[in-house]
Amino acid sequence: MGDYRVLNTRAPRIDGPAKATGQAKYADDFKMPGTLYAAILQSPIAHARILHIDTSKAKKLPGVKAVVTSREAGLIKYGVSPARYDETLFAHDKVRYVGDEIAAVAAFDQDTAQEALSLIKVDYEELPAVFDMFEAMKEGAPQIHNEFPGNMNAEVHQEFGDTDAALAACDLVIDHTFLNKRQDAAFIEPHSCLAVYEPSGRLTLYTSTQVPHYVMRTVAMTLQIPVGNVRVVKPYVGGGFGPKCEATPLEMSCGLLSKVTGHPVKMSYSREQVFLHSRARHQFYAEMSLGVMKDGTMVALKNKAVLDGGAYTSFGIATVYYSGSLLGGPYKLKSMKYDGYRVYTNKPACGAQRGHGGVAHRACFEQLIDMTAEKLGMDPIDMRLKNIMMTGDMTVNELDMSSLGMKECIEAIRKGSDWNNKKGKLPKGKGIGMACGFFVSGAGYPIYRSDTYHSTVVIKLSEDGGMANVLTGSAEIGQGSDTTMAMIAAETLGISLDNVRVYSGDTDYSVDLGAYSSRQTLMTGHATKEAAEEIKSKIALYLSQELNVPIASITFGDGIVKFDGGPGNFDKLRTNYIKEHRGWTDPPSGEYLTFREAARLAYLRAGTIVGTGKYKPPKLGGSYKGAAVGTSPAYGCSAQIVEVSVDLDTGQITVDGMTDAHDCGLAINKMSVEGQMQGSLSMGLGECLFEEVKFDSRGRIINPSLGEYKIPTALDMPKVKSIIVESNEPNGPYGAKEVGEGAIMPTIPAILNAIYDATGVRINELPVTSERLFMALKKNAEGAKI
Amino acid sequence: MLLPKFDYHEPATLEEALRLLSEMGGNARIIAGGTDLLVRMKLKVEKPSQLISLRKIPGFDAIIRRENHGVTIGPAVTAAELSKNELILDRFTPIALAAGRLGAPVVRNRATIGGNLVNARPAADLPPACMVLDTKLKLKSATTEREIEVGEFFRGPGETTIEPNELLVSIFVETPAPWTGGAYIKLGARKTLEISMVNVAVLLTLQDQEGIIVDAKIALGAVAPTPVRAFAAEEYLIGRQPSTEVFHEAGAIGVGMCEPITDHRGSMEYRCLMIETLTSRALNQAYQNALAWKP
Repeated sequence: MGDYRVLNTRAPRIDGPAKATGQAKYADDFKMPGTLYAAILQSPIAHARILHIDTSKAKKLPGVKAVVTSREAGLIKYGVSPARYDETLFAHDKVRYVGDEIAAVAAFDQDTAQEALSLIKVDYEELPAVFDMFEAMKEGAPQIHNEFPGNMNAEVHQEFGDTDAALAACDLVIDHTFLNKRQDAAFIEPHSCLAVYEPSGRLTLYTSTQVPHYVMRTVAMTLQIPVGNVRVVKPYVGGGFGPKCEATPLEMSCGLLSKVTGHPVKMSYSREQVFLHSRARHQFYAEMSLGVMKDGTMVALKNKAVLDGGAYTSFGIATVYYSGSLLGGPYKLKSMKYDGYRVYTNKPACGAQRGHGGVAHRACFEQLIDMTAEKLGMDPIDMRLKNIMMTGDMTVNELDMSSLGMKECIEAIRKGSDWNNKKGKLPKGKGIGMACGFFVSGAGYPIYRSDTYHSTVVIKLSEDGGMANVLTGSAEIGQGSDTTMAMIAAETLGISLDNVRVYSGDTDYSVDLGAYSSRQTLMTGHATKEAAEEIKSKIALYLSQELNVPIASITFGDGIVKFDGGPGNFDKLRTNYIKEHRGWTDPPSGEYLTFREAARLAYLRAGTIVGTGKYKPPKLGGSYKGAAVGTSPAYGCSAQIVEVSVDLDTGQITVDGMTDAHDCGLAINKMSVEGQMQGSLSMGLGECLFEEVKFDSRGRIINPSLGEYKIPTALDMPKVKSIIVESNEPNGPYGAKEVGEGAIMPTIPAILNAIYDATGVRINELPVTSERLFMALKKNAEGAKI
Repeated sequence: MLLPKFDYHEPATLEEALRLLSEMGGNARIIAGGTDLLVRMKLKVEKPSQLISLRKIPGFDAIIRRENHGVTIGPAVTAAELSKNELILDRFTPIALAAGRLGAPVVRNRATIGGNLVNARPAADLPPACMVLDTKLKLKSATTEREIEVGEFFRGPGETTIEPNELLVSIFVETPAPWTGGAYIKLGARKTLEISMVNVAVLLTLQDQEGIIVDAKIALGAVAPTPVRAFAAEEYLIGRQPSTEVFHEAGAIGVGMCEPITDHRGSMEYRCLMIETLTSRALNQAYQNALAWKP
């Protein structure tokens, strides 16, 4: 690790004051003269043919400016992956879930827009619907898309080595199944957008998104506007966690209505609409067999997945690949077989959510390891350590662990939780469990096939030389990427964090694929570093010419410039600077030349000083089908230990403590790293114990509110001991890699393993409500009696 | 989500409030904390054209000790206040405990006892707590006044005996006898911000510190269309020497009083089993509190 001045500290977030004082603007705060308010008509029926849509009454309602349906919007298909574009902005032939979009209106106020919706008459012919993924796969099930017979949205079959033969040669093979439930990401800020179409033909969207770049492309395509005329601006965002990783009907409707009316058009989803739009965690069914030798050596893993995709694809292709590829590590395997099926059902589409595709299968696998360890009489930690991958190892599916502090993480939590004195020694009702996981630091490839840079960054110095302005299309969504980029720029330029300003989230600033797959620190970080280095070399060049010193003698740091490690002779620069800025309040002073003076000189020589940086990963991964999914320039990893108390008479679970270690490479900002770790644990705890989007028999969501859809409260979260493990990642800027998603991987299985330790009962279905656990305990006790 | 349009009234006296209520009849709703009503209005489940606020009516937010025999609680006293009030905690324990489990701090700061009773949700926290205490509700209209036992008040989910022109103006709770202890237990998914899957309020009176049970009251919430008293279990307890076994048996009898439903919060079977467990647990806690009774 280097000797850093800005990096690797606990820096306060640069957006902290704006957020704490309420000055920060979110999409719904944007106001413009003449703004119209929009609303979307959504299907009340899960599966139906649309026979006729009559908008005439709605159009006549005073205050209504436009009503649009598929007739106005056209039938351009879109989606996330071009391989599966299966949505149109508005349904035209069929609706496929309760919430499917049929029409949108724009009116002078929200009440009128809502009233107009009630005046649109849609004639439906109701069709049989299917809500269960296993039912949907059966012969004779209602067919949701003609193009995908059997409701089979995507199928993956991968095998590395001869798994059946390897399993046959194992001393012990254990099977396990696992079922999670559909989740909602429960971000605090519902989707919101203001669209402004100008007579020049330019469309600007101010929208709550994780991915301005992809929104720009999708909106340009569906609204048939040249992509250069679409600008997407992401204001502050109140969380995304995955579901805001794609263009929404809300954004496209606002854009279309603004184009049609010539007015700015605004719309925000209600919380219920957030649930209906969904695009959050799938329901996964996992079926696995793990084969090991007597000494605990893992040999082969067979993994099957069935995913309930809902009515459309969204991110689903990547999801179904991830469920397989993300089990390649962090344990050495000789062979691995994966069969994945993503199935259409008449429910809102599922997509990406924190730990994309990997979380449920990780939960199954890590339970399976504990079950195996128990059979072999091994400590679960020892069993994992025996098989652990190290830096430089390659997984059986060709993921390159260019740095991997997995072993260090395990050792840190073993010590940090006092595991050795607790495991196997706790009274009944108390338990301790552990698990591991790893995740990508940015997807190795863009969502669409392209040679594009994944990130570019522009840094522009102010005319006085005192401020570095970082311009990036990256998406600060609450995770802290603006502060991260400011820190990387400040460190590289050798200036203080106060002298960096970040302008982000705007497609006009730079190219950036956005905040998903835990990519901003590594990828935008690289581009920021490169841009700052270019600035530094420009300044050094002009200094060397002006002062007639070799470039190599010039160094930057702490806001000053040194020559051969000393002050050098810069008197004329200072005199000039002070002359130019006579009467200003802050003349440069001190023994050394300031960065400000040096940057001013560069400006006088060459005009505005700009540095640009860019990043795209090298070619990664194997050559088999689907090899791209799971590739990344680097992998973060984590290990967790959870301690629980179970009320054996009610089944209520209290998580008493969590010890978490994460290898994020160099921790750019330790405070943000811990924030991501603890946020991941909270989200994992919620999915494990409480969360489930529930439907009635007609496909309507029963609990589309944060009152009835239960995320953890502060009282449900235990004290978390967060341990940062720092490897040096060769492919990361300053050795940094991800923390945003990898940290969630071990949480669910660690809790489940702790519950088993406390009760002797293995739970393989989420959420582990008090009822589910109590009934399992009861059944177990009855079984023991017989 | 927008509120529907309505007229808002803020009467400064009880008389004015009652006059408004009698004039507007079915078009008006009373608003106190608004934690239920405003949500229902935003969802367009309710669209009253008139709202009458209680916030300016003198005494509605007061807790007044009635020397030696009880306490009068104003209908606009908040759950937060009830949960922290020393008199309520000491002598009317189930009410304080139930108020402390209602919603979360932001909800408790606004939600009122009157609202919680009048809304009559089957899973509400305060009704069972009031039912184990000797609680009388005073209902007034512009022309009438009557007092009703809290046990007679609830008719079904969201339904009570209150007339559209009547206002709940005060809640009187009699001080329990010496050597009485109370408890309240709520079962939900999370530690807070929960709607009960099952809740149990209990009041237990002993003859003296070592004596038999001379009175027992058990009320259960979220197990029937209204909160219910477990009379058979109460009868079983009276006259017996307190013990874990006796409390356990009372819990088993208590289940017989309930007809819980299966819904997305929990199944009938689990709810029944939990009634048994939680009733016996609450009795144990109430017993411990009774032993700690001080004059």
